[in-house]
Amino acid sequence: MPKIHPKRSLTVVAASLAIGALALTGCTAGDTSGGTANGGGSSSGLLTIPREDTATFTSNFNPFSPKALPMTQQSVFEPLMIVNPVKGEPVPWLGTSWKADEDGMGVTFTLRDGVKWSDGQPLTADDVVYTFELQKKIQGGFEYLDKVSAVDAHTVRFDFNKPYAPGLYEVGQQVIAPKHVWSQIADPAKATNDNPVGTGPYTQVSQFETQSFELDKNPNYWQPEKQQLTGIRMLAFAGNSGANLALQNGDVDWSDQFIPNVQKTFVDKDPAHRHFWYPTTGGTINWQLNTTKAPFNDPVVRKALSMAVDRDQVTSLGMSGYTHPADCTGLSDVYTTWRDQSIVDKCEWTKLNVDKANQMLDDAGYKKGADGIRTLKDGKPFQFKFSVGSASSDWLSVGQIISKDMEKLGVKVEVNSPDWSQVVSGYTDGSFDSGIVWSNAGATPFEFYRGVMSQKVVVPVGEKANENYHRFGDPEATATLDKLAATADPAAQKTLVDSLEARFNDVAPVIPLFSGPAWGAYTDQRFTGWPSSDNPYATLSARSATTVLVLTSLKPAK
Amino acid sequence: MVFLLRRLGFYVIAFWACITLNFFLPRLMPGDPVSRMFSQVQSQMRPDQVDALRRLFGLDDRPLWEQYFTYIGKIFRGDMGISLSRFPAPVSEVIGSQIGWTLLLGGTSLAIAVVLGNFLGVLAAWRRGKFLDSVFPPLLIFVGSFPYFWLAMAALYLFGITLGWLPLNHAFSTGLSASFSLKYIGDVAAHLILPALTIVLVSIGGWMLGMRNTMIATTAEDYITMARAKGLRPARIMFQYAARNAMLPSVTSFGMSLGFVVGGALLTETVFAYPGIGYQLLTSVQALDYPLTQGIFLTITAAVLAANFLVDIIYVRLDPRVRVS
Repeated sequence: MPKIHPKRSLTVVAASLAIGALALTGCTAGDTSGGTANGGGSSSGLLTIPREDTATFTSNFNPFSPKALPMTQQSVFEPLMIVNPVKGEPVPWLGTSWKADEDGMGVTFTLRDGVKWSDGQPLTADDVVYTFELQKKIQGGFEYLDKVSAVDAHTVRFDFNKPYAPGLYEVGQQVIAPKHVWSQIADPAKATNDNPVGTGPYTQVSQFETQSFELDKNPNYWQPEKQQLTGIRMLAFAGNSGANLALQNGDVDWSDQFIPNVQKTFVDKDPAHRHFWYPTTGGTINWQLNTTKAPFNDPVVRKALSMAVDRDQVTSLGMSGYTHPADCTGLSDVYTTWRDQSIVDKCEWTKLNVDKANQMLDDAGYKKGADGIRTLKDGKPFQFKFSVGSASSDWLSVGQIISKDMEKLGVKVEVNSPDWSQVVSGYTDGSFDSGIVWSNAGATPFEFYRGVMSQKVVVPVGEKANENYHRFGDPEATATLDKLAATADPAAQKTLVDSLEARFNDVAPVIPLFSGPAWGAYTDQRFTGWPSSDNPYATLSARSATTVLVLTSLKPAK
Repeated sequence: MVFLLRRLGFYVIAFWACITLNFFLPRLMPGDPVSRMFSQVQSQMRPDQVDALRRLFGLDDRPLWEQYFTYIGKIFRGDMGISLSRFPAPVSEVIGSQIGWTLLLGGTSLAIAVVLGNFLGVLAAWRRGKFLDSVFPPLLIFVGSFPYFWLAMAALYLFGITLGWLPLNHAFSTGLSASFSLKYIGDVAAHLILPALTIVLVSIGGWMLGMRNTMIATTAEDYITMARAKGLRPARIMFQYAARNAMLPSVTSFGMSLGFVVGGALLTETVFAYPGIGYQLLTSVQALDYPLTQGIFLTITAAVLAANFLVDIIYVRLDPRVRVS
């Protein structure tokens, strides 16, 4: 599942300061590859990866825990299939093949032969059945799942209680845990599973300290020829600055936290070995307008505001050039294969056109006053807030650029940047004016469109919303989404998604800004075989479903 | 004794006020833990999981006052609950695993700053107007008024990267495991130098200046002149007569600082990636992890109150006037 971006919390500011300080003083970190005071992992053959969002590790390899340690879902446990967001296609993993019902009422998976758990027991269909039982009990979700049953030792049947074709990818990406271990655990929700038994490539916890832990090879892995690493070593950092410093200093091999000005602060120190690749496979980042408030209930207003946003400036200045402007289908680059080019070619309201935007607002009756500020229909000045969490410095500058752009329309936008928690709290209860927001991720555009314009996910202001904060529901889109959920035929799906794209273009539920980049940087001094734009077999994220693809492709450098 | 009992009574009331604030303050913040978690991982979780997670975390929907009484009851049973941001680790375990590092870093740097700062203060006041007195206080205040973050980054850059003398991050080298070997202890010490040094640098000026000023006032007292007239050794007058009396305000500040050591050193922990309570507190507040936030505040409260009580006791010993009144 694509990742918008690793947490930025307080750390972006800290990181910029840190990097700034280093850059000012003419950092020479690149010269000290490997031979540092810290030792790094330089001599051990361990792939070293930092985590910037935790200062210390607390043992928890429970795949059903929302707070499991990094690598639990990536290297210890594996799913039936892995969806690669760069290519937009599923890779068979523990499941070798699957068949979705034509009417979207279920799916059947065939399991791979000869897969063993790290304790030597074979993987069977019962493990899959038991996994879903536990997952539903502990973490919820999968409400459309009526029954999971083992047809035979290698075939699992999923029956849905309503047509839900996207369920194929959701059940397919659930990591599978062994029944013979978990049925013995009294309280699986609170188990920390210190010595995990999984099917992944690196499962054996060989060392566990406050700020680091190591995973060694699974002795019974099903593709032993792909276990080319001695193991994986994770390091804990309290914030981006520390993790970035370790990366610059050559103490770690692979790092996927946000790095400001990555070319200059990282790559330029050793261009032969250091690389980054930021494919724009995160979800679309949108500017959402609270459609329960006038004038945002008017699609003409939403489109006019959108047309005044200088997206080139937003992406080049606000996002450091790490991404590119979104188009009027709202789809991010994960869904490139789904995008209807004929709609994209005719995009209007996502292209900069201040004159047209002014014209539209004039025609819609929002007249400019003597002071150059437009008035709303109730006589109040056209002004509102743009919410963004203060910790996301890049999105904050996006907000400022937009605020400046709106001046040209005679609309006053005040950037409001408290802590993220406060921003989100305004989103959930529907009290906000407007703000920057991420979007739902999924293997197909279904989740995205359901999140921005299905009537089924709209809740009244005052009640807690977990998606569709802007509270926009469209009957036509809802009907199309229902049809899309009920068809497994790729050609029919494509047609339905095309009509959703057209509908999005018509009603403009949110203002799409750009696709979120998936950060990732590495040095190939010690390991080679990294994904890149030439060989996009995965992203460079070390915390998503595709991570295991990287772990099983890397080889020690000669 | 009456004095100490009266103080003890005061501490009990202060403690109650603190735990009450601990309970209500985090709950005044907007949002709830699950929606916070949701906003942090953004699209990683499915919206339909929210309710199940609320159940899993055992989030309470009862009226606040009912929760309050349960909370008070649990505190007296020593049960601080389960951390939400580090689910399912108990709060006591999360705090326990980090507090050692916090005490080591905070304790070491405080001890060095207090001992060295006070000693320099005594010397500076004793040789007033001489080199030590005219150079050190302004210099230390100058260094101390740098933004800590900047100072720490500069030290890290100079000693860690350019010179490569000292390790860049963490409490000990990766690959080592905790043991009582010389190698491990030496490694921990090496990792402690930079973080502790930077804290000492920014805090020592205050100690020195405070001590110097009270010391100057003390040396003007008649009994010092008397002691000089008696022909006592200067070192004896300086430490036994002057410094001992000038020390009282320093003891008070020391008590306060000792209590706050438990709160951790957020910026130090961030720059040097050092484990500790400070960053943990920040993340627990950001995640609205009520049990952990409360647990950490409770620890800090208890430590500050205990340290103050300790100072009260020491005062009785040091200052006869307190005993008499």
